[in-house]
Amino acid sequence: MQRMTRERGYRALCGVLGGLLIVTGFAMFGGFFGYHVPGSDSPIPTGPVGHYMMGFAGAALVAWGGCLIGVVRRPRWGRSVGTASAVGLFMAGLMRIVAWIVGDYHVMAGEALRIEAVLFLSAALALIWLRPALPDDIIEPDDVGQAPAP
Amino acid sequence: MMRWTGSVMIGLLLLFTLVLPWTGVGRRGTDGEVRSDIDGAVGRLGETLPPIELLDLDGEPLRLEDLRGQRVLLTFERSVDW
Repeated sequence: MQRMTRERGYRALCGVLGGLLIVTGFAMFGGFFGYHVPGSDSPIPTGPVGHYMMGFAGAALVAWGGCLIGVVRRPRWGRSVGTASAVGLFMAGLMRIVAWIVGDYHVMAGEALRIEAVLFLSAALALIWLRPALPDDIIEPDDVGQAPAP
Repeated sequence: MMRWTGSVMIGLLLLFTLVLPWTGVGRRGTDGEVRSDIDGAVGRLGETLPPIELLDLDGEPLRLEDLRGQRVLLTFERSVDW
């Protein structure tokens, strides 16, 4: 029962995170193209290099979100996606804390940096602790891809 | 084991994030420190600046001493258009 509840929470968390990442990723990806429309006014205070990085990061976010959506369908086979996502969220949280401390970003984003860091780190903790256990009857292949002899 | 190690790392960073405003960490400092800096700068109005040598937009050296006798407006800014 507890295992089922944990798995349900894991799927819900992966689904929400995946959806948010895909929406954000497409927005950032579209921002790169929007910046190059003649006469456009970008809401992001950065130049060509910043928009290039933003478009690339958006494409990566869409891929990351897609992996998390895949976990919703088969959570036990997506345990490593959750772990890798926890690492990514930890890095994103750490980056925001440093940005808050440096000060230049604080002028633009204010306390949103710290709030985002708390959300990211909380999500990372949840991904670690909600991660479903492997099924008892699973047979894991060895290093060369062969199932172990019975 | 890995689960606990990761949790401790994330938990410590989360705790640091929550108490960050009360730690005084950061270059921007607290509001009080910034205001005290402004007061110090205002107190130096009328004093002579120390010798300054910079490069102009053409890469040529520019000394503050070369501008003696002229009105000089000194501003500091940082572009975010990178």
